Parts: sequence; structure tokens; C-alpha cells
Amino acid sequence: MKKKRLLAALMAGIMLVSTGCGASSNGGGSSSDGGDSGEITITIPSYKTGENVGATFFEPQVERFNEAYEGQYQIELENVTEDVFNDQMKQLAQQNELPPLVQGGDKEWLRTVVFPNGMAYDISGWLDEHQEIKDLMLADAIEYCTEDDGAIYSVPLATVRPTGFFYNSAMWDVADQDLSAMTMDEFIELIGDQKIAFSTAENAWVSALFLTALIADEEGGVDLLNSGINEKITDLSQEPIVNAVEKLQSLLQNNASSNSIGAAYPDAANAFMSGQASIIANGPWMSTDFEETNSANWSNGFDGANVRASLFPNQVGIAQTQSYGEWWISAEATEEERECALAFIEFIYTPEELEAYLLAEGGDAPNLEYSEDFTAQQGETQVLADLAADTTEETVFAPCILDVIPSSVGTSDLSRLLPSLADGTLTAEQFCEQLTTAAQEATAE
Amino acid sequence: MKKKGAKPGYMSNNHWEKKNYKWIYLFLLPTTVIFLMFYLVPIVQVFATSFTQWDGFNEPVFNGLKNYENLFTSSAFLISLKNLLLWALIAMFLHVGFGTMIAFVLYQRKRGWKATRAVFMIPNVISAAAWAMIYRFFFNNDFGILNSIIRKFNPDFDVQWFYQSPWAFWAVTFTWLFYAVIVTLLVLGDLMNIPQELNEAAVIDGAKGWQLIRYIQLPLCRNAIATGVIASITSRITMYEQISLTTAGGPGNDTMSLPILLVNAVTDYRYGYANAIGVLMFVIGLIMMGIINKAFRMNETDY
Repeated sequence: MKKKRLLAALMAGIMLVSTGCGASSNGGGSSSDGGDSGEITITIPSYKTGENVGATFFEPQVERFNEAYEGQYQIELENVTEDVFNDQMKQLAQQNELPPLVQGGDKEWLRTVVFPNGMAYDISGWLDEHQEIKDLMLADAIEYCTEDDGAIYSVPLATVRPTGFFYNSAMWDVADQDLSAMTMDEFIELIGDQKIAFSTAENAWVSALFLTALIADEEGGVDLLNSGINEKITDLSQEPIVNAVEKLQSLLQNNASSNSIGAAYPDAANAFMSGQASIIANGPWMSTDFEETNSANWSNGFDGANVRASLFPNQVGIAQTQSYGEWWISAEATEEERECALAFIEFIYTPEELEAYLLAEGGDAPNLEYSEDFTAQQGETQVLADLAADTTEETVFAPCILDVIPSSVGTSDLSRLLPSLADGTLTAEQFCEQLTTAAQEATAE
Repeated sequence: MKKKGAKPGYMSNNHWEKKNYKWIYLFLLPTTVIFLMFYLVPIVQVFATSFTQWDGFNEPVFNGLKNYENLFTSSAFLISLKNLLLWALIAMFLHVGFGTMIAFVLYQRKRGWKATRAVFMIPNVISAAAWAMIYRFFFNNDFGILNSIIRKFNPDFDVQWFYQSPWAFWAVTFTWLFYAVIVTLLVLGDLMNIPQELNEAAVIDGAKGWQLIRYIQLPLCRNAIATGVIASITSRITMYEQISLTTAGGPGNDTMSLPILLVNAVTDYRYGYANAIGVLMFVIGLIMMGIINKAFRMNETDY
């Protein structure tokens, strides 16, 4: 009998421990090792790992850092899926388990929670001591990242990757023309009956890029888009937007590839890389899709070598220079961890690493004097060379519409309303009115 | 004599119970902890924060009924309520009706009935998300099976089922309408439990075919059907994947639902508003259960 009671008590205890207490497992993603070797090791949760497109450049970059600082610093990557990355950072923050060096995070969360609540380390002093790094950073980015009290938490960007569009020169032979120097009307006329790969599902990314370019082309459009960086635009019935939506409707009705309605980004990319569309708007990171090594995704005679790129008419490049950077350091990091994190930031902002990044993912570092080797290598990738040639002092940067309207309007309402705009159920005015209603509801106190 | 004999036994039972109270409490403890941690506390938190303006991180600020006021003046919310009502009716009559009909067919135990039951079960082991993707292909305008067949008869046929009014509502409905195996298993279980004597007595009294079903078997499956209706309607209240992965609530707000609105609110860091939607989903679920309980007299026993 005693044995039975003892067993029963033991089982009840195990049940209690395994259910109740089991919930409080350690979710932290950082560790530091100042062991016998003296090497400081930190672990960074990152979505740019494994199969993620960003891993192609980022994982070797971390390896280069580990080699360069062997015996001194070591960074280990923890794979986190991109879809859940921001949520996981929020959870780690709530548990005071943030890694010493944090990659990105939701902008709104950084602005309203992390930075005001002292959860990040102020790097302004460190930046002043490393003027050579600060000089590489974009003035807009430094200004945006500087808080009212002068503190800088997010590491400002040094590169800008203006988004334009790609076109298949075998289907649309306009490579001899400077498309970014045209007006939007000239450009639309030149498109004629060419097909454009649009998407309407998810956040309607490809369509949103075109819409942004169309708004930027309108009088006051760029200012309107820029005004949404600090305070989200909730009146989407303003003239530049309505005019742009009218043009987008016409493009959707006359030039959209057949799978555009209901298409997510992969469907739009597939339409372009299978010759069903000759134009697709997207960022320079898509350039890797046109390399021979990715030819398995091509069909119907598509050849990546025929793809050319351009910024949008009126020299509009979609990019947000007034934004937070990719990295910030947790205020909870120990001195050793902070030392390692700062060494990594210093490493990735060296001219060599910035050039390697631009060669891999495209873009421009306006304050960096490029090496001859870099210029030669950039010229080897046609689309990157095209975009680099288009990015000049005259380039007009405008933030994507998705970044300047309330999140749910960008991720849900826009895609829900686009099919009705495309089939003519909604006029441009009605479309904009419905977006305005949604935006106002989404920001109601 | 009997009383005297019963007394020591009664005392002994009571004594035994008292002696084992500590064990009863000990074994109840894990369940109580789980209930408190994962049910009661979150539910109370949802109710409390539904009266606040809360971004999910900073302290919630009490704002009275503002979230509910915003909710009831939102056109998307009113459409989602209308959709829920329609889907609930479709679930109750068509979905549960179909599942019940299949149960009665299987109850005849014709050759192959077990294999049919297993095949009918297959959709339930495939996730709702996977089904949604399958239906995206099924309803695709370019190469979907449905439009390909229709174009054999009408070459100009051109309907974007998930992206055009009014088809989107019905296309979404189609993604769950015929997967009623839970209802079928519930009803079939009750049918199998009907004492054979009852059926035989009815047959002796002259009942045949439909009469046997209408007056004997169907009433005796009342509880299973009611449980099926509750399961089906609560699934409609919480239906998310089927909509999110197909129409995302569109076109316009044609297929808008409460969970989609809730997720949108979370996307905008409006946790107080999102929790107000959660509270309404909870209340609607309770009301539906109460009505069904009453309508089907679920508290009464049959045998």
C-alpha cells in the first residue's frame, strides 16, 4: 500500500512538473563564453539562414567574421523562420532574453516599445569614435535613427537598394532606351500591349510597387509618400493616389498577365520567368533568379541573360532611406557581448564587406568610394549594372506605399480590393474610399 | 437490521473519502493548474483588455466601450456577422444534413461501408491550410479543373471564383461544406447504439423504410446531431485558414470573418480591439451553444 502511495505521489508530482512548470522553458537565444580560450561567443537568432534568400550572403559573411577574429570573437547563428522572426524577438524581449545583437524587428515595435523603454544600447558614442563608419552611413538614416535626446539605438544604413523593374529584352526590345528618363505617360505608351506580372494576393507586392511608382509620378506624390514615414497615411482619397489608382486599373485591365488576379509573389515571378509577362517590378535581390545557376526555374524559352533592369520613369527608385537599420544591441548585453557585437558591426561596415554585399544583393552605397575591382565585377551582372547606372544624384527616392499605410491595410485590404478594381466592380474613387475607410478604422483610438 | 448493517459501511466510505482527500486534491492539482494557466487567466485577460487601448507591450489604458463602439460601426464587422449567420445556417442544414445522410447510408451496412467510411475520413487528416491551397488550384481561372470542364461547353467562360462577387462566398463555402465526417461518425455512433429490439418492435408495428428513420432512428440520434451542429457552427466562428489562404476576406468584404478582423487588428497593434472581437466570438459561441442545447433538448435522455 505504501509503495502504491509513493508511486502515486511520484506520478502526480511528475505530471505537475511536466505540465505547469514545463511552460517556463528558456527561450533565450544568446550566450557568451569567456572560458579558458578567452574567445567571446554570442548567438544571434537570424532569419537569414538555411533556405532563406538572405542566407546566401549573410552566412558566409558571419564565417568571414569568425575567421577574421578567430580566438577573439565568435558568432553563432540560430535559425529562425522569417515569418515568425519578429514575433519571436517580441517574445524574447518580454522574457528579458534578447540576444546581445538583434537583427531588425518590427519597426513600429522598435519605435514605440524597444527604444523608449531602454531595451537597446545607445551607440552614438561608439559612432562618434568611429567616424570612418559614420561617414559611410546615409545622412537621412542617421537623422531618422537619432532620438530626440541624441541617442542612436539602431545602426543606421550605409546602403540603399532602390527598387525598379525588370524586363525581358527578348520580348520587349527597348534596351537602347533610357526608360527611367521618360515620363510615366511615355512609358505607359511604350509598354503598348506588353504583359506585366502583377500580384494581388498576400500584400500584393508587385502591384504595390507599380502603384508607388505611379503615385510618385503625380504632382506632390513623392511628398505624400514621404509624409507617411512618420505618420501613416489614412486619407487614401487624395488626388495623387486616385490618379495613380486610375492608371493602375488601366494597367491591370489591359496589361496584366493572365494569372495576376489572385497571384502571390511566386506566381508573378513565375509569370515573368516563363515568358507570360515581359515586365515585373521588384528589388535588385531578384537578380540572382536570372543567373544561370537558377535556370531550373525558367521555362518557355526564358533566358535570364535577356533580362534588363531600370528604375521607374521620372527616375523614381523605391527605397526608404529614412528608416531604422538592420542591427541594434540589447541593453542587457554584457560588456563582453557588446564588445563582440560592436566588432561585428564594424566588420560589416568595412568597405570590402559593403562592396561584397552590394555585389550579392544589389544597391548602392552613396558615401563609399568604390574600388575598381568592385566596379568591374558589378558590370558583370547586367541587371545590377543597369540599376547602378540609373542610380544617380537625380534619382528620386520614394518609400513603398505598403510602408506608409497602416499595416493591415497593406497586408489585407489592398489585396482584397485589387481584384474588384481589376474587374471594374470598383472605380478608382471607390477603391480609394474603401482603402481610406479601412485605414481610418485601423488607426481608430 | 438492515439499517444497522448499513451504518458501519457508510461511515467506512466517508472515512475512506476523507482519508484520501489529499490524494484527490493532489491529482486534481495538475488539471487545476492547466485550467488556470491556459484557460481561465487568458479568458479573463481577454475580457479585461477588451475595454482598453493596448498595443500588446505597453500598459493597457482603460477606454471603456470604445473598442466595441468602433467594432459595431465598422462595415467590415457587420458584413462578417452577416457572413457568420449565413455560414452557420449552411453548416446547420447542409453540412450537418449531408454528414447525417452519409451516416444513415453507412448504417445500412451495405458491402464496402467500412471502406467508404475510411475514404470519407481522408479529408479530415489533411489540414485546412492544405485544402485551401488545393481549392485555389481547383478554382483557378487559367488551369483549374472546374473552369476547364465548364469551358468544354462554354469556351468563353471566365470566372475568378475566389476573386469575384458573388462567387467568392460560395467558393469559400465549398472548401468545407462536404467534409462532414465528424458529424457522420457522431451520428453513426448513436445509430449503432440503438437497441435492436427497438427497430424490431417498430418493424413489427408496421414501420418501414422512411418511417423507421423518421420516427425511430432520427429522434434517437438527436444528441449526436446537436453535437455535430455545435461543432460545425463553432468551426465557422473560428474559421480562419480557409479564408486567409484563399480570398483573405475579399473581394471587398464579401468573405470577411471575425478571425480575419482579429488578425488584422493584431497586425496594427490594436490588441484591445482584437480582444473585443475575441470576446464577441466567445459570446456568440456561448449563445449558439445555448440555443442548440435548448432546441435539441440535449439535457434529456432517450433511454
